[in-house]
Amino acid sequence: MDSHAAPLRTRDSIPAKAGVGLRFRHHREVLEARPAAAWLEVHTENYLGGGSAPACLDAIRRDYPVSLHGTGLSLGSAEGLDPAHLARVRELVERAEPGLVSEHLSFSVAAGNYLADLLPLPLTEEALGIVCRNVAQVQDHLKRRILVENPSTYLQFRHSTIPEWEFLAQVAKRTGCRILCDVNNIYVSACNHGWRASAYLAALPPEAVGEIHLAGHSLRRLDGARTLLIDDHGSRVAPEVWALYAEALALFGRVPTLIEWDTDVPPMAVLLDEAAHAAALIEEARNGNCHALAA
Amino acid sequence: METATPSLLELQCAMRASLVVHDDRGISAHVVDAGMSPAERLDVYRSTFASVLTKALHLSYPAVHRLVGAEFFDGAARIFIEAHPPKSACLDDYGEKFADFLSDFEPAASLAYLPEVTRLEWAVNRVLHAPDVEPLDPRRLAALAEAERERVSFVPHPSAGLLRVDHPADLIWRAVLEEDDDALAAIDPGAGPAWLLVQRLATGVEVRRMGESAWRITAALFAGRPLAAALDEAPDTEASALLADHLAAGRFIDFSLNETSA
Repeated sequence: MDSHAAPLRTRDSIPAKAGVGLRFRHHREVLEARPAAAWLEVHTENYLGGGSAPACLDAIRRDYPVSLHGTGLSLGSAEGLDPAHLARVRELVERAEPGLVSEHLSFSVAAGNYLADLLPLPLTEEALGIVCRNVAQVQDHLKRRILVENPSTYLQFRHSTIPEWEFLAQVAKRTGCRILCDVNNIYVSACNHGWRASAYLAALPPEAVGEIHLAGHSLRRLDGARTLLIDDHGSRVAPEVWALYAEALALFGRVPTLIEWDTDVPPMAVLLDEAAHAAALIEEARNGNCHALAA
Repeated sequence: METATPSLLELQCAMRASLVVHDDRGISAHVVDAGMSPAERLDVYRSTFASVLTKALHLSYPAVHRLVGAEFFDGAARIFIEAHPPKSACLDDYGEKFADFLSDFEPAASLAYLPEVTRLEWAVNRVLHAPDVEPLDPRRLAALAEAERERVSFVPHPSAGLLRVDHPADLIWRAVLEEDDDALAAIDPGAGPAWLLVQRLATGVEVRRMGESAWRITAALFAGRPLAAALDEAPDTEASALLADHLAAGRFIDFSLNETSA
């Protein structure tokens, strides 16, 4: 690696290319060998303190466009956002100057406890109002637009009245946030709830989609020949999800796309191989509408 | 059965009860049960809740994990998590009460040193993730008059901490993490006490022993007591060298002047 080559410091945008999710296992390799990833995304909550983790991110940030993907703001919490957590996220955003900042359409905090998962919301007018209020508060506080990701879910609430795709589109419309379309999550939720994945994609407003996530899932067998798909980010992207991704690209145009892998994280070469597959599909996308965006 | 529609707040509190204390009474009736029961569906989230937090505790307490073994650790963690679910989404902050929990945990009673190793790992975890703050510039202190210096109260750096242990928790901690069975076998668990300084350096977290007098003065300084009063903790100590060491190592970030030196 030629450290004198003054790499371009890309503070601005995440390119409409295929990046990979960076986990601690690969920090050293990324710093020392600078693998050819188009961009990197990290989990916000892993870098909120001081010490070596954010220092490492500072160094990585000099060579790669970086996106911050949060799991702890709990955009769906009726009790509102945790101001201390939001303040820490803002500190990191100011420090890392990421190309994109994203969170989830879910809740993870209730009665002051963090519930360590992205929990499903009842899709009601009340919840829509609360999510929009919280997203607006985050965007005001961070002084930037965020992206909101569709979750994978294992249950639905009886009193839900709004389909998830409409709910997400409404959040984007009312708050100006963008949509992080997790194609694997759509596939998982569609299989688990009997939705039509293609119809979900087609219902999203294409102009609002600012990023796509891809990951692996697993099949859990229950008794009585019943099955449930689990979004465990622990394997390669499934063929059915690649097919759905090609549909997404046809609908949304070229969009920054991320390979996520969180369980039994494989060597970087495997992640780059998955990213190369996504990159080939992006190249094939005929729609010239380029979504590289400065949030 | 007809069930009143819950508010979002009510539903989320019911979900919390389901995940944390496995009480589904408030949530089951609101979950669609097509093909799978609400309990089966909720189990997916319960399982993630428990495994994510158990993993977080494992990351913060690697030596405790090795000392007691994975099965014992996971079992203790499950009980702890139910009693003390996290209050923040930043899981580096999770598990402060684990040492207190283990000291009252009957199955661990035979390991008298375990709570202190746990406390040490928490101190290590705290300094590891402490905010990055510029240390105090010693020239600011040098600029004070002699009489003013006695009235100085320091603000400790968040990446430095103190711990007094009755057992050689530091030796046990180090031997366990280094998987040095010979060193571990050579430790007398009854040997103690020890006065420890825990600090994050550029190379990692250092745990080192201090003399009792120097530790007492340092503890008084870290607690914000005026310099003259802190030195009274151990009048015979070579205080100027100790202070110089603290300043050079960046263990303070600021100071203020008290009305009196007492």
